[in-house]
Amino acid sequence: MVSSTNPEYDAIVIGAGHNGLAAAATLARKGLRVVVLEQSAQIGGMSRTSEISEGVRASRIAHLLYNLNPVVAKELGIGSASSPLATRVIPTVTLSPDGRHVVIRDGTPAYADGSAHPEAATYAALRSRLHKFAQLLGRLSTMSPPDLSGGLSSMSGLKELGALAALGLDAKRLGKKDMREFMRIILSNANDVLLDELEDGPLAGSLAADAVRGSCSGPRSPGTVFSLMYRLAQGGDVALPIEGMGAVADAFAKAARHYGVKINTRTSVEKIIIEHDRARGVVLQDGSTITAKTVMSSIGAFQSMMLTGAEHFDAEAVRRLRNIRHKGTAAKVNLVLKDVPVFAGLQPDQRAGRLLVAPSVTYVERAFNPVKYGDMSTHPVIEAVIPGLADPALSEAGAHVMSAIVQYVPHTLNGGWTGEAREKLVRLTIDSLEQYAPGLGSLVAHADALTPADIEAETGAPGGHWHHGEMSFDQLLTVRPVNRLSRYNFGVGGLYLCGASAHPGGDVTGAAGRNSALQAIKDGVAS
Amino acid sequence: MGKHSKYDAIVAGAGHNGLTAACYMAKAGLKVLVVEKSDWIGGAAVSRELHEGWTYSNCSYVCSLLRREIVRDLELPRFGLQVIPYEGGATLTPDGNYFAYLSDHDALRPEIGRHSKKDVDAYERFSQTVVRQCRFIRPFLLRNAVDPTSLKPRDLNEMLFLIRKMHDLGARELGETIRFWTMSIGDFLDEHFETDLIKAHIAGSGIIGTGLGVYSPGTAYVLLHHYMGDVDGAIGAWGFARGGMGAISKALAAAFEEAGGEIRTGSGVDRFLVKNGKVRGVALENGDEFEAPIVASNMDVKRTFLKHVGRSELPDDFVTAVERFKIRGSSGKLNIALDALPNFPAIPKGASFMRGDLHCSTSLAELERAYDDWKDGRWSSEPYFDMLIPSQIDPTLAPPGSHMMTVFVQYAPYDLEVDGVRSGQNWSDAQRKAFADTVFDKIETGCPDIRKHVLHAEIRTPLDIENEVGLTEGNIFQGELTFDQLIFNRPVPGYAQYGTPIDGLYIVGSSAHPGGGVMAAPGANAAREILRRNGRGKAMPSHAA
Amino acid sequence: MTVIMKDIHAEAFAGAVPEGIVPTPFHDRLAPLSKAKRWTGWAGYISPLVLDTLEFEYFAIRNQATLFDISPMHKYRISGPDAARVVNRLITRNAEKIGIGRVGYAMWCDEEGMVIDDGTVFRFGENDWRLCCQEPQYSWLLDVAWGFDVDISDESEEIAALSLQGPTSFSVLQAAGLGAAGNMNPFDLTEIEKDLWISRTGFTGDLGYEIWMPASTALEIWDRLWGPGQTWGLRAIGYEALNIARLEAGFIAAGADFQPVHIAQRLGRGRTPMELGFGRMVDFEKGHFNGRRALLEQMKKGPRYQLVRLDIDGFEPADDALIYYRGKKEVGHVTSAAWSPTTKRNIALAELKAPFGVEKFEDLWAEIFVNHEGVWDRRMKRISFIKGPFFKNARARATPPAAF
Repeated sequence: MVSSTNPEYDAIVIGAGHNGLAAAATLARKGLRVVVLEQSAQIGGMSRTSEISEGVRASRIAHLLYNLNPVVAKELGIGSASSPLATRVIPTVTLSPDGRHVVIRDGTPAYADGSAHPEAATYAALRSRLHKFAQLLGRLSTMSPPDLSGGLSSMSGLKELGALAALGLDAKRLGKKDMREFMRIILSNANDVLLDELEDGPLAGSLAADAVRGSCSGPRSPGTVFSLMYRLAQGGDVALPIEGMGAVADAFAKAARHYGVKINTRTSVEKIIIEHDRARGVVLQDGSTITAKTVMSSIGAFQSMMLTGAEHFDAEAVRRLRNIRHKGTAAKVNLVLKDVPVFAGLQPDQRAGRLLVAPSVTYVERAFNPVKYGDMSTHPVIEAVIPGLADPALSEAGAHVMSAIVQYVPHTLNGGWTGEAREKLVRLTIDSLEQYAPGLGSLVAHADALTPADIEAETGAPGGHWHHGEMSFDQLLTVRPVNRLSRYNFGVGGLYLCGASAHPGGDVTGAAGRNSALQAIKDGVAS
Repeated sequence: MGKHSKYDAIVAGAGHNGLTAACYMAKAGLKVLVVEKSDWIGGAAVSRELHEGWTYSNCSYVCSLLRREIVRDLELPRFGLQVIPYEGGATLTPDGNYFAYLSDHDALRPEIGRHSKKDVDAYERFSQTVVRQCRFIRPFLLRNAVDPTSLKPRDLNEMLFLIRKMHDLGARELGETIRFWTMSIGDFLDEHFETDLIKAHIAGSGIIGTGLGVYSPGTAYVLLHHYMGDVDGAIGAWGFARGGMGAISKALAAAFEEAGGEIRTGSGVDRFLVKNGKVRGVALENGDEFEAPIVASNMDVKRTFLKHVGRSELPDDFVTAVERFKIRGSSGKLNIALDALPNFPAIPKGASFMRGDLHCSTSLAELERAYDDWKDGRWSSEPYFDMLIPSQIDPTLAPPGSHMMTVFVQYAPYDLEVDGVRSGQNWSDAQRKAFADTVFDKIETGCPDIRKHVLHAEIRTPLDIENEVGLTEGNIFQGELTFDQLIFNRPVPGYAQYGTPIDGLYIVGSSAHPGGGVMAAPGANAAREILRRNGRGKAMPSHAA
Repeated sequence: MTVIMKDIHAEAFAGAVPEGIVPTPFHDRLAPLSKAKRWTGWAGYISPLVLDTLEFEYFAIRNQATLFDISPMHKYRISGPDAARVVNRLITRNAEKIGIGRVGYAMWCDEEGMVIDDGTVFRFGENDWRLCCQEPQYSWLLDVAWGFDVDISDESEEIAALSLQGPTSFSVLQAAGLGAAGNMNPFDLTEIEKDLWISRTGFTGDLGYEIWMPASTALEIWDRLWGPGQTWGLRAIGYEALNIARLEAGFIAAGADFQPVHIAQRLGRGRTPMELGFGRMVDFEKGHFNGRRALLEQMKKGPRYQLVRLDIDGFEPADDALIYYRGKKEVGHVTSAAWSPTTKRNIALAELKAPFGVEKFEDLWAEIFVNHEGVWDRRMKRISFIKGPFFKNARARATPPAAF
């Protein structure tokens, strides 16, 4: 029994990914005593900068920042003097097999040779419309999902519906025509919405790839327009963090420490202590105990349940948690290059952009097919950056890392992830890029491949899924991570989810952590 | 009623929805003309003798969705409609086993248990969810679609009805409902069952007629579209219309004619006559013109507006929206005359499910791959099909001892790809035969001697369905059943209540809410809306009002 | 039809399951006894409603001894290191208070605290249990047991069972050479011979036993009881007689007095143990169990409904009657009703909407419709509330039992 002792902390946060840190900082900002426990030596979860080979560092997993929630950043001072964060916005270069690559800068596409793109205006209009719709949804991302347990017509239900009603009013302000368009496409698929307006090619392909990155869906899957909007929430520009994604995690950590949070790395939680249906603290792997009034978990929902013990959950909740879909499909391949590769048809400075291999929507959809059956794409979708071009500090030896997110790669590969299979993944990545950058293969000095299974092993992300759970409508809002557990409280009193598996979901937004902390404070369990 | 018009209302197309709308209007006292381009009526609910002595339901082939309120209002049994419930179905495996989806619940349990103990009770949970969802959705079928953008009292009233129904669900069921409506049939079944064969059997209902795969979100809802019917109250039960599906159209036509209506076949519409934004009547291909202040099109929304209304009469936004309406064909069909009942070695003697729907697709992955083929413009190399031999219980369909078999095939593309070009025109006779061969090869996995019994086979590609029935791209639902095309989005946002930008011109087919299937709800709802807008709302019989 | 079906099914599939309901292990003995030929389907099995006449069968329960075939009950074995934890996680009462060699009545709930089913829990050993119940629970048990080291197996088909009930039931056992059951207390469980288990349980509120055996020995055991039983007035009975007896004893029946929530098609049909009058069966102190948080919530808010035992004026059974407050306001309905031949009372179970049956008991009336030879009569009858069972007799608990 630990309940008789005075708890050491007001809150324990499990996991020092950006959401865990955001939750910790938000709680500490309100004067609570918080400790963050991170099992690995490094903080940041998927946002980490590592040495890929001697003298060469790079963002090990996630590599670009595009969706940091401005409310969270402002509240926690991310990017302020106390928690500095330097980023550089880079253009998107969507590669074309015919060499007529398209460069998208400030939301406007043009051919790499500088000539105008015939669909520039259509593209800009479509993207700004999607962005407008995304902002509408933005209101939802900084609040807890509505609590409908009081019924829709009760007073408490009406109060909960207030925020939704405000969303409805915002939608009304869009005007009838836009509102109708919003309601038509919100549940639709990227393939149809994109190809209704754009020719199928690299430009449409770039949006299709953004719509499905990290998810187990293809552009034809209904719901992918939503995931595209989610991605475009902050305008759709992508930024390269100086010093890699580790710098983003560091900024969150600094903010947390600024408010007095203690961060303990190499501290693995063995079990969450539950007494009388209340979280009381944690037992660490070394057998020691830390007590607290609240336990916040930023790891996956299923994993959090296992850490707590299934016996503390109703059988239905266990079943739902078991059924969360989190099939990771994105691998990370970091290629250490002896020199900067030459891309046929690209100006040297354009290589510093975000390079996409997504030559058409159809290509992206076809790339999706094999992963449904446990195979790798034969023609993968790739998002690659060479951060050293924009951020020379990362490489001292003149070597460069080409950081590539490769889709679709199954978490559980038919035949297993043998050495041969990993080599195949690296080969596939090099071959796909070599089509555009002849000779790339001969520049590769070292390759570091992380399959979704590796990402799961290294970061704990369930299934190696970038969002800790598919961002599809059956796993969003009031049913994220699962029905009846969507309000951050995780069944047991004082136990909260604060990671990407909770509302609003994945990407480096910080919203899940921050919302969860606010909900815990509101529920009065931490103080 | 304008003094120059010969009719009060004209319905273009004698499909089941057109006839239903016509019937309601005629019963309300309007003078109604139905014009039909074919020499027969029925649209996709037809019985045709295409091989001497054999009657084919050559499009739709079973019924359950026909709303009972409509059957009652229009007294269809009095006009000869007989529906014979059929007894379950089965999926046959190449190794001589099967899963029988027996209609007798007490027998179904051990049959499921034969494959998996665990799945027996999982089935109860599955069916509770499906029945609850059916119960939730059914009250909406014969109502106008909600319009969240409208503040009109009628629309607010519909919205309140919806909110009340959602409130009744309670928080948990609301969450489960949101999930059910947005998830894929594959994921839904994976959450319940462990036996792939059982999953494959049930999943078929989630993809029939769609351009979606079993793992596409939204297909669990499509399953509902096939389950929410009933044969006298038994949710999900299906039946054969005696004499083929044309019997439904025949009964509707007889009811219509008794109410004073007039049908002209062989009278295809050339264009809808419009003046000053108002419909005046129709001009037929043969040059005849008929006038009426109300014109209801049973054609799909694309055909109605892109082929038969002058573009200058329509707002650009509307035309764009109609052009973007998704109506991809994905289904083919074989209608087969058999000299005898072929042998299905796996099926026990006297098994009830022999008279039900038979399938040969044994896993969800197989079904998903069938979809992948279609996406790329090929028919499925391992097609899913829904195969029935209704002549076992309806001897009017074939000569004694002989049989009629209907095989609905998923997937077959409209725009077949040949040499890198995708076009409906690629459906040559050789391609059609190759398609049929693929289907026969698959049937042989459960019925090895099928080919030797075939006397005649009608091969229907999506192109054939478009050409003969008039369904654009051969889409059996007159438009895909995805969320961007359902409820207030169907057929296009702002026009989900049967009216169109042209005053007096209405959409009454399955392109309109609540969508496809032989349920006649769009026709009845549209008639109600037409009568209401013309000051005759009270003339609508009460059950479907 | 025969013409059409000719020449097919040359070789039938060997594993085919029969269509329609199937015989129980005792059917070969029951079928010749059936004069009424009134059968029903029970969980897929052929089960008698009445074998001879309802009256003979009912009175045999209260005055002689009866055999009722309960083989269609679902039976699940729960065993393995975590078995006790799993049973405790499942049911609302504290399983640890059920000793080894004992049987306990239990309810179990879904996450909203609504009763899934009720049944009996048999404890064979520290971690060896059986759940016996009306509704199939296999996949639910697997769900509850997920994450625990336990084995769940469905024994429904393998285990045949007979309910031997009535004042002379012990005498029948004795005559059959099973007199060792004499020192069994109510709710005791004993392996009286190898593979032959007896529990002192039943659904009649009278002296009685339930006998559990492998299906292969079912007929042998039947014969062993049936022959010697005749002098003690042993009769085979159907469900209708049993249903009157269980109502007299105040037992509730799934599907009548509550709707098992997993098979309810309509919303809002679930009821909590408290609402069914079984609040004492919920142990909030034992740790988490399924539905605990929801039930705790209801303890704060109070029940929405209350199932009550009623004594109704008059002689006409109040089947399907609605209950009115002051003769006007509808506040509930009868869920089971019968004329009790033993107590000579008009008894019923009824569900009332709170606060009726919770704190309001006055001025309540049952609306009974009676049809006598084609003439309908509507009668408003005063109801009164009964606390315990309608019928209770010390012989039910006597140990050792006499030849009552």
